[in-house]
Order: sequence, then C-alpha cells, then structure tokens
Amino acid sequence: MIWQLDLSILTLIVICAFATIMVKDLLSAAIIFGAYSFLMCLLWTEMGAVDVAFTEASVGAGVSTVLFIAAIYQTTRKVGVRKSGRLLTKAVALVATLITGLVLLIAEADFPGFANPFTPASLHLSPYYITQTLHDTNVPNIVTSVLADYRGFDTMFETAVIFTAGLAVIAILRRFKKEDRCDIPGPYVISEAHPDTIIRFIARQLVPFIQLFALYVVAHGHHSPGGGFQGGVILGASFILLAISFDFKMVLGIMSERLNILLGNIGVLLYAGIGFLCLLLGANFLDYSILSKVLPATDTIMARSHGMLGIEIGVAIAVMAIVISIYFNIVSRGKYDKGL
Amino acid sequence: MQSIISDYNYWVYILLMMIGFYAMLAKNNLIKKVIGMSIFQTAIIIFYVSIGAKEHATIPIIAHGHGAVEAAIDVAHYANPLPHVLMLTAIVVSVGTLGVALAICLGIHRRYNSLEEDEIEEQLQ
Amino acid sequence: MDIVVILLTVAGLLFFFATTVGLLRFPDFYSRMHAAGKGDTLSSLLMLLALALYNFHEANLANLLVAIKILLIVVFIFMASPTATHAITDAAFESGVKPWTKEPEEKS
Repeated sequence: MIWQLDLSILTLIVICAFATIMVKDLLSAAIIFGAYSFLMCLLWTEMGAVDVAFTEASVGAGVSTVLFIAAIYQTTRKVGVRKSGRLLTKAVALVATLITGLVLLIAEADFPGFANPFTPASLHLSPYYITQTLHDTNVPNIVTSVLADYRGFDTMFETAVIFTAGLAVIAILRRFKKEDRCDIPGPYVISEAHPDTIIRFIARQLVPFIQLFALYVVAHGHHSPGGGFQGGVILGASFILLAISFDFKMVLGIMSERLNILLGNIGVLLYAGIGFLCLLLGANFLDYSILSKVLPATDTIMARSHGMLGIEIGVAIAVMAIVISIYFNIVSRGKYDKGL
Repeated sequence: MQSIISDYNYWVYILLMMIGFYAMLAKNNLIKKVIGMSIFQTAIIIFYVSIGAKEHATIPIIAHGHGAVEAAIDVAHYANPLPHVLMLTAIVVSVGTLGVALAICLGIHRRYNSLEEDEIEEQLQ
Repeated sequence: MDIVVILLTVAGLLFFFATTVGLLRFPDFYSRMHAAGKGDTLSSLLMLLALALYNFHEANLANLLVAIKILLIVVFIFMASPTATHAITDAAFESGVKPWTKEPEEKS
C-alpha cells in the first residue's frame, strides 16, 4: 500500500478517462482506452489483486481494444459534428451525474478506512477461505480455489454467459446470403494491404510460444496467478494476431466457423459434464471429492485439485472459441469474406 | 489528514464512476457511450478490489514450501481474496457485454448509416 | 550488487525520459516513431535487467528461475516492440504521411 504510487497512478487514470471521452477521433479514443485499461491493471497489481490484474491485462488492454478498433474499422472513424439543441440533454445529464455523485459521497463517509485489515469484509467468510484452502483442496492460489471449487456454480454460469454473448453476436451480425437487403459499401480502404515480410515472419515465430504460454497459464493456475479465463483469452488473442498479420481467409482455413462453435460447446459441456459426473457418482453437483473413485491413485483432497484443473481447461476452451468468434463476426461484419 | 489519506481513494473511484455515467448519458456518439459503459464497469471493479486490500499484506497465494508441514496462516497477512473472485467474473462478463454492444452498434450503423444518436432519432420519425 | 541495480534503474529511467522528450519535441511523425521505438525497447531492457539482478539477494534455484523468466520477457519485448514500430511506420507510409523536410533558408 504505497500511497504515493497509488496517487500517481490514480491521477493518470483520471486523465486518461477524461481524454477517452473527450477526443473527437474514435481511433484515438480506443487506443487511449487501452492505455486506461493497462493503468488499471498496474493499480490492481499494486493493491495485491494479481489475478484480477492478469485478467484485465489480457481482456481489457488486449481483446477489448482490438474489438473497438475492429468495430471502428467497419463504421465511421470521426465523431459527427454536434448539431444544436443538445444543450438541454447535456444539462440534465450533468445534474443527474452530480446528484448521483453527491449521494455516493454521502454514503462514502460511513466506509471503513482504506486498506484496513479489520474491515467487516475481511472478518467473516474470507478467513475460512484463507486458512482452509490448503487443508481442503491442496491448492495454494486462494483465488483459484474459491473460483473453481468453493464458488464453482457461479463460474459455470459465467462460462454460460460468455457462450451466450458469442451466440448473441452471431445472431445479430451473421449474414449468409450473397446480396444483402440493407447493405452499405465496405469501409474506405486507403491502400491495398501488401503482405509484409517482417510482420508475417515475427507473427509466425511468436504465435506458438504465445499459445504455449497460454497453456502454461491454464495449467499453472493453481500455484501462480492465472487460471482458465486468462489462458483462454491469450489463446484467442494469438489467433487474432494471426488474423491481423496474415489474411483473414487463412485463419478461417485453420479455425473454421464450425470448429469454433464446436469448441465453444465442448468447453461449456466439459464444465457441466464434470459436475454431472460428480452427480452420477453419488455426491452433490460439482463436488469434486467424489472423483477420487474414478481417478486412479488420488485421495479426496487431490481429487478436488484435479477436478479444478478439469473445469479450468473447459473454461479456457470455451473462452478461446468465443473470443475468436466475436472478433470474426465484428471484423467482417458477419459476412466472413474479408476482414482486417 | 489521516482521514483524507484513508478516504481520497474512494473519492477518486466515485469520480471515475461519474465520468463513465456522464459519458453514457450525454455523449452523442454510440461508441462513446459504449466506452463510457466500460469506464463505469472498471471503476466499480476497482472499488471492489480496494475493499479487499490490506496494509502490509501480500498477494493471496500461499507460498508453501515442499513438504507437508502446515505453518500457521495469518489471515491479516494475505489480501482478501473474495472480492478478487467476484471481480474476475465481472471482468469476463464485461468483455462479453462489450462484444454484444459493439455488435448492436454495427447493426445500427448498417441500418441507419450513422452512429450519432440525434441523426438516428430523426430517421426514426 | 545494490550499486549495480541502482545504476541500471537510473539509466533505464534516463532513457525513458529521453524517449518521452523525443516523443513530444520532434517535428515529424517518423522521427517521433524512431525515438519511441528505440528508446522504449532499450529502457525496458535496462530496467528489467535491474529487476533480475535485484532478485539475487539470496542465490538459490527458485530465484534463478525467476531471473530467467524476467530475461525471457526481455527477449519477447526485443522481438515484438520493433515489429510494432515497423507496422505503425509502414501503415503511415502507405497512408501518405510525408516526412518533414527542412525549408530552404533564404540567402539575403
């Protein structure tokens, strides 16, 4: 809790937030938003939330920025000139914002102090998790054990939410007919993108190592910051890197749409399947200790650790497939013919 | 002075939330509204994470050596992991929401050929 | 050992500062990219090297692994950062951003 570092990073974050919503160019806004996400990640590392910072670095500063740029590529880049008559809307918005801020500030006076070890939030349930996780599950990373074992039900529905988001994007954007009823011309292309040797070579060299690192993050999530979500997003980002540096069609040849959706299904099915397997063996849903009957040479404590690894793999596969699918749909506007 | 140091963090988080909230309400461009929504979400995440922070505490990963000796684990020595877990879910859900929001923006642009809110309202009438 | 760490960190900070000054003061897009690309990579190398050396206060195998991991990050930055600079500069050249030329001085 170094308050000088806190203060300086917070100042930069506020400046970035102001700049993001004030600039007139949408591409600049997207890139400043990437910088804002990265500064948030630094702040969370300094506060001790390394898992959250890892996720924000891969999701916020990585995939979110790419999705914004892909959406801006398909629509306009400049913010339109504001016509008159918006002053009343802005005034009402300002008043609403000020009233909400004032109410929140009045409520803030009752908060416990910042970084106090004896706040009520840290006294009731989390001491049990901190002291008992090694004894119950033999997993040192407390966040992973709470996420995948003690609160595994939440995480299953979170994976389902990601899957539903991918389905929603397909439902909104995907077009199969050759001619479209309400089609607008494609984005303004400045020059033909000639294949660049350096970028293609470096991308081809780096992608296997990025994927290996993503698999390491998934597998080592029990002992270090990491886990299923971070590894899945990094795997998806490696495919997006291939799509950006090479041709869009080439990545479609590797990871076709059918295979992608199949992988997304397999991920969610793996998670629910492990829970159902526990049910079939006679215990509660997602109670991994009963898996010691099926897995060879494990006792009930290690079975919980292995069950967690299984569902983390399922989450990683599902998140990778959905991130790739959302990027493909946004960047090609649903037609899957050409992209960035 | 002590109360200011222990409180100014919360003021900055409330300021960030209000920046995102204002952008969602008052900005004309749809993508700016989506950016405002993202700023609001990350401000809420930072508020929750700050609840779990403790002074002189280390990250919530128990560094245990090899061997079965379980030393006494001091609770005040580790940061509170429960807000971290909830915020992991929040970040991943937020990227899903961002994908759907951008897809809706693309759909609106395809139909109305504009991303400005007032032009879309004119075309709706 | 501490002196070396401090010297490396200060050198890294100096290069970062020079990069920022160059980013703000150079007259042209291409010279700014030149400053950003090179200065970024070198100062990252110096500061990460300082962190890897600071790790060696107690020399055992776990710390050696951490130092190797930090140096692998340096290798990745060396591969990725100049490529990114090249990509941005190439895109600018394709878009037609003209380099800055010195105006001819009038001879009186």
